[in-house]
Amino acid sequence: LEQPDAVIHQPIRLKIMAALKALPRGERLEFVRLRAIVNATEGNLGAHITTLESAGYVQVAKDFNGKRPRTRVWLSEPGRRALAEYIAYLRAIVDADQERI
Amino acid sequence: MTLSPNQAADTLQALAATERRSAHAYGYLQASPDLILWGVLWVVGYGLTDVWPRRAAAIWIAIITIGLIAGFLIEFRAARRIDAHTTAAAGSTRHDAAAHAHWMFSSIAMIASVFIAAALLVLAPVSGRQIGAFVPLVVAAGYALLGLWRGLRFIAVGAALAVLTLGGFFLLPRHFDLWMAAVGGGALVLGGLWLRRA
Repeated sequence: LEQPDAVIHQPIRLKIMAALKALPRGERLEFVRLRAIVNATEGNLGAHITTLESAGYVQVAKDFNGKRPRTRVWLSEPGRRALAEYIAYLRAIVDADQERI
Repeated sequence: MTLSPNQAADTLQALAATERRSAHAYGYLQASPDLILWGVLWVVGYGLTDVWPRRAAAIWIAIITIGLIAGFLIEFRAARRIDAHTTAAAGSTRHDAAAHAHWMFSSIAMIASVFIAAALLVLAPVSGRQIGAFVPLVVAAGYALLGLWRGLRFIAVGAALAVLTLGGFFLLPRHFDLWMAAVGGGALVLGGLWLRRA
């Protein structure tokens, strides 16, 4: 089996990708909601999002909702493909083990 | 960096759980404005019915019409926002599945309205209180059913609505409309706010 994608492999980053994948295409998730879903601290989540953004897997938009600053995140097409490949990698490991049994 | 089969299976489970949590949170957020809207309309509708019971039919025709139009506007706005994001990402104009989903929810509201009207014609209730209880019970059942797919909070909202409606119907028959205005409508508004915070 090939090696897994090191960017996605990290548990919090994997959760971020999974949370974003659950949204309909074109929809964006606010940072505060994402933090509640993946159960991460603000600093930790911010660092992982930066890593994913640098890899081109997520996109980030910062704006104001009224007077309140807002950060929204969504999955890019390369990110969607990378996650699909990672899931296929995991399934291949599980399937190979079941075939051996 | 190789995973064991157990680690891979655990990771797949964790992924599915996170996706489910995210999808539920998204569904709650989408449903929240509708609950708040109908909560406010129930406060007005049942409140006016309590004051002018003989004009209940005209009051509720107006309330339902306002609710459906406002509901469509909320869904249409959300669908347009998603389409704008999708178009910006894809560089072309295309409809997104989410937009269709929003229209689906609106269509369900229309179908439910027709179903309720047909059921009332067949059952021919003898009092306004029966109609006033039947509709919220159908709505409660709808939310409870939705919860089977979209998250437990919908079931909680449906159950609370059903219990409060039945409580008012049997325990406070003389003040049922007032009860539904304050407690039924209030519960919907609070339910909507609760979903938004999920």
